[in-house]
Formats: sequence, structure tokens, C-alpha cells
Amino acid sequence: MKSLFAVFLLVLCSSVYSAPLQYNLTAREIAKDTWVVEGKTEDFSPANGGNIVNTAFVVTGDGVVLIDTGPSLRYGTELRQLIGSVTDKPILYVLNTHHHPDHFLGNQAFQDSPIYALPETGKLIAQQGNAFSENMYRLVGDWMRSTEVHLPGQPLSVSQLKLGQHRFRFISMTGHAGADLVVLDETTGVLFTADMVFYQRALTTPHTPDLKQWIADLKRLETLDFKLLVPGHGPVSEGRVAIVQTHAYLSWLDKRLSQAAEQGLSMNEVIELPLDKHFDQLAVARKEYVRSVAHLYERYENAMF
Amino acid sequence: MMIRLLLLTLLVTVSAVSAVSAVSAVQAVESDPIQSPMWDYTRQQFIGSAPYHFDERVKVLLPAFAENPTQVPLQIDATALAGDIERIVVWADLNPIQHIFTYYPHPDVIPKVSLRFKVQQGTAVRAAVLTQSGVWHVGSAYLDAAGGGCTTPSTTGNGSPFWESHLGETQSRSFPLASKGGVRFKFRVIHPMDTGLADAIPEFYIQQVILQNAKKESLARLELSQPVAENPVISFDLRDDLNDQAGQYQLWMRDNNGNEFEKAL
Repeated sequence: MKSLFAVFLLVLCSSVYSAPLQYNLTAREIAKDTWVVEGKTEDFSPANGGNIVNTAFVVTGDGVVLIDTGPSLRYGTELRQLIGSVTDKPILYVLNTHHHPDHFLGNQAFQDSPIYALPETGKLIAQQGNAFSENMYRLVGDWMRSTEVHLPGQPLSVSQLKLGQHRFRFISMTGHAGADLVVLDETTGVLFTADMVFYQRALTTPHTPDLKQWIADLKRLETLDFKLLVPGHGPVSEGRVAIVQTHAYLSWLDKRLSQAAEQGLSMNEVIELPLDKHFDQLAVARKEYVRSVAHLYERYENAMF
Repeated sequence: MMIRLLLLTLLVTVSAVSAVSAVSAVQAVESDPIQSPMWDYTRQQFIGSAPYHFDERVKVLLPAFAENPTQVPLQIDATALAGDIERIVVWADLNPIQHIFTYYPHPDVIPKVSLRFKVQQGTAVRAAVLTQSGVWHVGSAYLDAAGGGCTTPSTTGNGSPFWESHLGETQSRSFPLASKGGVRFKFRVIHPMDTGLADAIPEFYIQQVILQNAKKESLARLELSQPVAENPVISFDLRDDLNDQAGQYQLWMRDNNGNEFEKAL
């Protein structure tokens, strides 16, 4: 009986502790040739391994265009296998939409493909990438094993690309991270906004140059002709609904911080304020609001003097 | 045999007595709500052997996590003890320099103050309020942090010569308080507030801040330490009936290099 129990314990331990960490990524075909790997609408945690981001790839007749590489080498490796299970075509373009860690730390798995990013994004990854990587080890732990910063080697200098039957437009913006790449597949009408748009998950603001700049960028996005929108975080949606939500949240946040500064509130008092009822159902709403106050309130406060 | 029994009885009695005294000692010393390993040490440092108890009426407002470890917002609200306060000592248990500031509010001032500070790692933050009866009332909160705030060079002090031509420049504004009258003075002063813990940058920080009325009476006095964040933004709350001489308030500051800064509010 005792030995049976010991065996049971052994099985339990080995299943809990020595099971390899796996994201079990799956790709969903949302339009012709177009696959999205959807992350959770959570914050980074040891449970999700940093898989909170959407990556996507388009299989053109000539080869694959990959948009973002995920938060770790392990994610990148699984993503590469996933692409390989869909197509035998080579990966011709890897794009890093911006310099946040969940969008480029999978680059190592794609070292034999050219990796493109806006020139400013390349600079920012070179400056801050290692600090981001260290922070990710702290936040998600062993999932990050062997992950190192692999810089995007190719500055993206074109605004159009024709590959196979697909015509892509590259749109350079700054609102979310200081350098943000938006990709429009004009052939399928799919808009890949990366973190310029969040949907059903509260947005993050650590490197926004200005909320008003972000809002101005969104107004440009609203004029584009597209059918489906793939946001950086949150579900794929039809039409402009995700842009409208992001826009509304940014406008509310901007107004909230202005009014609080005008009333002379301290940063702590702003943090304690309730969220607008339109946004308190968004995933991680309270946490991201508190972070945004920390990132941005000082600017509004200084403007009041 | 008899002696042995006696000894045994004695032993049992002694241990029973010591057990009792241990119990009473536990009752006399409240356990730290944060269970910080440094509590006994920092208590000795800032309170000594004076009587104290943990008091939730002393509010320590902090975010749960230090998003920017060089600018952590902190607000102390001891309004519940207003009129009875000698001083408020504020520190972070696990900072390399624990003391953040000491506040001496005039009895007529609302004892609420806010500023930002630098944090080196996750830590308990304390506000110990000494009342006129000699008892300390201790408020606590826990701050989680990735850390490094105290050993990071200041951005204005090291990264650019901005502060050299703007040192001590002060902006201020008053705001009516929404609840039950009163006025808040908020000000921002340009100063690197170097801790001395960043490589090859000596400590350089504002030590004293005094808010005076027209009669040169001190309404609020702050003694700052190195962990106060660079370009400090500080707010004081005054009762409305003190605000009958608007424009008459004077802010005076001095740093550890002897530079004095003054500003009429």
C-alpha cells in the first residue's frame, strides 16, 4: 500500500515538476492565407509564460510574412513549428511592430530570416531590450530560459510590399510606444494594428509620447479601408469597433488625468479613483489604470503649475 | 530521591513561570501587520523604546507595485489624529537609506502630505505618528517593487546639465480642497536629489522644507532624506480659516550643500 502511494507521489511530482513548459500555440485562419495566434488577455505571469500577445502570419505564394515573434525563445520556437505545420514556404519577412518584450523576444527562433522593424524600434530594442528581457525573467520565470535579445537587423524603409498575391502597406505611427508599425494587407482587408489598438483588454502606456498623439494616430487608422482588425492584445474583430474602444479609453484617461491635475489631486488620490463604468469590465482594467497613472500623471501635474 | 523530586518540581515551576512571562511579553508587543524582517531594527532606530501601537487610522497610501522605482507616490494621512501630533516619521524598512521624511505639522494644519520617493526593493513603508501623550501610532503599507530606484542616477542630475541652470526653481499652485473646506498647496522644485548611492555621484538633496505664514510662524516643516524623488512634488493641506491671507505664505528650503531656495506661494 505504502509503495503504491510512493509510486503515486512520484507520478504526481514528475507530472507537476518535470513536464516541459509548453504554450501549445494554435493558429486560426481568420482570412485567406491569414493566421492569428491569439494570446490571453492577462498580465504577464508564470502561469501564462508571457503568452498574452497576438502574433500573426500571412502565407503568400512566395513565402511567409510573420508579424511579431512573441515573448520568449520558447514561444518563437513553437511559433516556427506552427508555421511549418501550415506551410512549407520559407519565412521571408519577420516584422517586429514595436520594442515591447512580448513582440520581439521570440526573434532568436527566426535568426535565419531577415527581421524588419522601423529604424526607431531597432534603436529602442538595442537600448532597452536587455532590461526588458531581465524583467521578463522576473515576471514569468523559466519560460524565458535561454532567451536573449536578437536585434531586428533590417530597418524597414518601404511603405509597400508585394509578395505573391498579397499587397501590404506599412504604416509608421508613434502613439503607443514611440515607434509603432501597423500593417494593412490590402488584398484580404486585414489590418494588423499591434498595440496601437487593444480590444477587451485595458491598454498599456509605459512609452507613449502623449495620449493625444495616440488618439491622432487612431483617427488616421479609422480612415483606412479594412474588414478585419487584429489588435496587439484581445480578440480579432470586424470593422472599427476595437479602434472605437481604444479611442474611447484614451479620451477618458486623458480627461481623467487633466481633471485630477486641475483639482490638485496627488498621484495616490488619482489611483484610488473608481474607473469609468464603460471600462471596468476590460481585462486587467484596474491594474493597467494604476500603471498608466504612474506613467503619465506627472506630465499633467507639471502642466498645471 | 527527595532532592531529585524537589529539583524536578523547581524545574517545572521555573519553566512554567518563564512560559507565562513569554506569553505576557507577546501580548505587550504587537506583531507587525506586514511581518517585515526589519521591523525591530527600524523601530529601534526611529521610535526607540517608546510605547507604540499599530493604528489603521494612520493611512499610508501607496500603489501595490512601484511601476517607476525612482518615483513612487506616497501620501500620509493622519487626519484622525489632527491637533495631537508632535511629528510624523516616515521610512521604508528595506531601503538602503530607510528614512524618507519627518513631518512637523502645526496643530492647525491638516496632517496630510504627499510626495514621491525612490525604492530599492519590495518593502514595508511606515508612518509613525508621535502624539503629545508620547505614544507612537504606526501606519503601515507594503510596496512591491522590481527595485533599483536608490542606486539609479537621477535623470536631471547626471543625464543632462539641466539642473545646473535651474536648481531650486520652484513652481507652486493652490487648490481648494473638495471635502470640508481647506486649501492644498502643491509645489515642484528642480533638484537632482542624489542619494550618494549611484556610482561616483555624491549625495545632493534638499533636507529642509518649511511653509511659513506672514508672521513667520512655521505651519508645516519637513525634514527630507535622500530617498525623496528628484524634482520633488510635495503637497500640504491647510484648513480654510488659515487661508485668510492668501499670497502671504512663504516656502523656504535648504539642501545639504547649503543652497537656500525661497518662494512666495
